[in-house]
Amino acid sequence: MTDFLQNNGFLLVTMVQQALLAMSLYYPLMCGQLSLASPGFYALGGYVAAIIGTIEYFAPWRDSLGWVIFPLEWLAAGIISGFLAVLVGIPALRLRGIYLALATIAFVEILRVVCLNLEITGGAIGIFGVPQLFESRWSYIWTFGPLLMLMLFFSYRLDRSRVGRAFKAIREDELAADAMGINPTRYKVLAFVIGAVLAGVVGAMSAPFLNTWNARQGTFDASIAYLAYVLIGGSRSMWGPLLGGMMLSALPEILRPLKDSRLIINGFVLVFASIYMPKGIAGAVGNLKNFTTRILGIGRSEK
Amino acid sequence: MALLELKNLSVNYGAIQAVQGLNLEINSGEVVTLIGANGAGKSTTLRAISRLLKVREGSIIFDGREITGLAPDAVVRMGIAQSPEGRQVLARQSVLDNLELGAYVRKDRAGITNDISRMFQLFPRLEERKQQSAGTLSGGEQQMLAIARAMMSRPKLLMLDEPSLGLAPLIIREIFSIIRNLNAEGTTILLVEQNAKLAMQHSHRTYVLEAGQITFTGSSQELLSDDRVLHAYLGG
Repeated sequence: MTDFLQNNGFLLVTMVQQALLAMSLYYPLMCGQLSLASPGFYALGGYVAAIIGTIEYFAPWRDSLGWVIFPLEWLAAGIISGFLAVLVGIPALRLRGIYLALATIAFVEILRVVCLNLEITGGAIGIFGVPQLFESRWSYIWTFGPLLMLMLFFSYRLDRSRVGRAFKAIREDELAADAMGINPTRYKVLAFVIGAVLAGVVGAMSAPFLNTWNARQGTFDASIAYLAYVLIGGSRSMWGPLLGGMMLSALPEILRPLKDSRLIINGFVLVFASIYMPKGIAGAVGNLKNFTTRILGIGRSEK
Repeated sequence: MALLELKNLSVNYGAIQAVQGLNLEINSGEVVTLIGANGAGKSTTLRAISRLLKVREGSIIFDGREITGLAPDAVVRMGIAQSPEGRQVLARQSVLDNLELGAYVRKDRAGITNDISRMFQLFPRLEERKQQSAGTLSGGEQQMLAIARAMMSRPKLLMLDEPSLGLAPLIIREIFSIIRNLNAEGTTILLVEQNAKLAMQHSHRTYVLEAGQITFTGSSQELLSDDRVLHAYLGG
């Protein structure tokens, strides 16, 4: 068991981390907004943690606070991401559908180029030697794992709350929601901010985990990867991004014995999954449950 | 004093001037019908009152207050609810969730629960289907749900956009008897209809809208026997 964790610890933690990033896309999607801004906030959060962890100015803090500096980094990353999300979200969420997606891609690019050219972010080289929270890669499950649990619980509660109902009403019919007295702009910005804060915190947890941080952390490729997680996993419930993020981030590793052809297989899996599971993996699992209920009469509720 | 007053209202729909210089008054307790051909500006007028469309000129006064510049949610809070054209129930959500959403601007939990059971008394068919997703309801049931949902915000003024659209005659009669009941219980109603005759039979006063302007107005009884109106709108 210890051997297994030693060898696969990095992958397992990465799966949880990617599931969290997939969830950061899921909140805007709950109210029908396709935002691809997550990598930007993820990169931002990582820089916040890397900067607090390395520059001279914070040295006395690091010495006196010890490990407590890490939760403070997460908090700072969350607050800064949330603040920026409000600033970006209010104008950007006037756009709909593909235009919002494009605007958020532009946001990610702008942030990337800015970080590439600033001195404090280490320019093209990035920031090296970000202090570690744990000695082994595997131990980082103790930061990402509880966050995932927390977000699952939060999503579960959100889904059944007043705010969650407003999100879903906006996703289905923004005009009807507006006519019912739900302010669509307010809730769309809120969903965007929730996603951004999550991505920022995950970034701040990832900088110590990866030991180094640079502008390649927040790219257009990442936007597409996270989108694939949600689409393949399913966007109708919180289980979709969870399953999609975990499975798709593990797939290239599982297929590693196939050498170069693994990329082809990886592509095939994405194509077939989107054709045969239009509601995503989570939707397909739900259908399977209905199917067995119908055919076998298992778990049928009394009418 | 009028509950709702539109003064010289002009609304653009994109580049098209959909409503020009419209004057309209609704008194408390009335059922007022707005009839007119397709594209005459009926739905535009309703959407302007709900503040879903920008007013270009003129003013909307509700309950003695100018509401022309308010946001849609503020208008719902003040007591105007709209049941939109084509019903627009949230198809993937349950009947119960749709009703809850109708009461979104309210915070009194006990009152909401109370009103839901009142709606189920008024529309027993909705109670039988309360856990079903709204998309699985028949057209008539969806229309009932749309009306019940609008009533959940406890409006002083209920605006119904084409409640008879695409429904069978028997169902239409049921819907209109419910509208009459709601009015008898004290809700003021603004009714937009293409089914002019039926709407006039169920309302106190009627406005006839033509190409964005009011061409006739008067008591529904009188207009029903007016030859010109009869000829133009009632196929007589």
